[in-house]
Amino acid sequence: MGKINLTALRVRQTALNQFASGKTSKLPQWVGVVGEIPPAETLIRTRPPQHELVQQRLKTVPGSSKPQVVFQVQEKRRKPKKPSRLFQPVELKYEEDQLRTQFFRDHPWELARPRVLLESTGKDFEHYDWSRIQQPGKRLDGESVVQRQLWLLNNVPDMTKSAAYDIARREFYRLRLKEDIQRRVAAEEAAAYGAEFGPSYLDIGMKMENEQYDKWVAWARETSLVQDQRKSALSGAPDLGDTTESSGVEAEEGEAVTL
Amino acid sequence: MIIRKLCMRQSRQLLALSRRAPISSRFQSTLPESPVETLQTPIRDEISRSENPLFEMVQAQSEASTPAQQEFTSDEPQRSNFKKLGTSVKSSYDPENVIRNPPKPSQISLEMLLAAGTHLGHSTSRWNPQNSRYIFGIREGVHIISLDVTAAHLRRAAKVVEEVAARGGLILFAGTRKGQKRAIVQAASLAKGYHIFERWIPGSLTNGEQILGHCETKVVNALDEELPDFKSDLADRPSLKPDLVICLNPLENVVLLHECGLNNVPTIGVIDTDADPTRVTYPIPSNDDSLRATCLIAGILGRAGEAGQLRRLKMAQEGRTSYTPITAQELRLDPFTGLATGADGQKK
Repeated sequence: MGKINLTALRVRQTALNQFASGKTSKLPQWVGVVGEIPPAETLIRTRPPQHELVQQRLKTVPGSSKPQVVFQVQEKRRKPKKPSRLFQPVELKYEEDQLRTQFFRDHPWELARPRVLLESTGKDFEHYDWSRIQQPGKRLDGESVVQRQLWLLNNVPDMTKSAAYDIARREFYRLRLKEDIQRRVAAEEAAAYGAEFGPSYLDIGMKMENEQYDKWVAWARETSLVQDQRKSALSGAPDLGDTTESSGVEAEEGEAVTL
Repeated sequence: MIIRKLCMRQSRQLLALSRRAPISSRFQSTLPESPVETLQTPIRDEISRSENPLFEMVQAQSEASTPAQQEFTSDEPQRSNFKKLGTSVKSSYDPENVIRNPPKPSQISLEMLLAAGTHLGHSTSRWNPQNSRYIFGIREGVHIISLDVTAAHLRRAAKVVEEVAARGGLILFAGTRKGQKRAIVQAASLAKGYHIFERWIPGSLTNGEQILGHCETKVVNALDEELPDFKSDLADRPSLKPDLVICLNPLENVVLLHECGLNNVPTIGVIDTDADPTRVTYPIPSNDDSLRATCLIAGILGRAGEAGQLRRLKMAQEGRTSYTPITAQELRLDPFTGLATGADGQKK
């Protein structure tokens, strides 16, 4: 235990040695294949790819009329890496991450919408052009806002993050409103042509509430009746006490029903 | 008995049914009068029903001439015109496609691997540092496997499978996780290899005579035609060993890989970030938990084996072999005494 087992990587050497020493009378057919296509170096450590956060911006320079593309690389930290962490993989960072966090912090319910995670070919990005927020084959969601904002930051001269956020958000809100209107009109149209959508959630809630009230009324009637009988049984003079008691219960019941 | 009268009874019910007008007519501004007439038709039928019991069956077929149905048929051209409108989905994702029609090794692309999710590793805390070569970075606490490394290793493994198949080697596909069965069987059938989708019985290689001794073996010539004359000579032979083992889940099949090491058999394995890459000869760094990813890898290797087998058979038809065939004398040789009798034939 603990040591590296190199048996699997040295199959060819072992086969050749076994043949040379006479343990096997014949070389296996694959010896040539493994010799031609040697196994990859698995155990040699290499420096993992170092990822840096790069930002692309378009800036107007005082001297020239055309805006220039500027790349900003995130500052390296002053404290050097610990030697033990030299070969560890590095965190992947992209500019969108920040934008995404901001958007979903401001719109947490966007996360509750259903999303398609499946990629059919992995080439969906080829059909997207983020100079506009709506994309063919992609549902409008928070990711659209993030990508649109990123495109604005990368391609519009002197764009700030908040301005890009406002632009992308405004477009998003407008389209969402449009979707709402479309949905409402479609529902109205369908209803006009005879579609029935069943009771709404509000109606169902009201119905359930009414059922509970009716139950309560029945229960109140029953208990008042029982109390009546008990009182009449206990009281010595039934004709005197009964009239007052029963009228009291009647009043109570009337109240209960009106409630 | 029920079936015989079904038509009659059902048609009677259908006739008695007051049908709604078809939807197409309800899009018009004025409602058609047809529902009223359809209500009247059953009454007319009831009069004639007593005269002829078969009348309903005949009537039911010719009943397509109610005004509503006439309208329905008259709207047919308009409806077929409208069918051209709207969208038609051309290329949709079919999960079966990767099993039924796996891609060739030459078709491997990073997009395909990305879509299959081969880049997703395990949580960073579960990593095996020997895999640091294959890891691209960390994302949301998960190691991301480098897609180009996966593609390179997959191509290399496919090449090995193809060459071994071209030299007539026995290839064993092993994938014992739930759901890998069909992909494994399909890959093995493409590569004319063998498959395991249930548990690997420990000792199948090291103690093969006990475990696989009863299994059938056959002698074939270079064109894969069986030579039944040699059946009797196989009785004393030890059980066959694979020339290449492909394992889709090395984590669960440690025993298999250990036995391959003891018997000096090269192996190909799908290595996730928590697996040990030294267990196999040719690691393919990839996600081994996603069925789509493992099915894709198995399919690609199966296709590679198919190409190798085709090459071998083509060469055999031309009378050449890329391997040194076993002679009939060697085959007739008794493993213990070394007595021999002469006859022609080849074993691959």
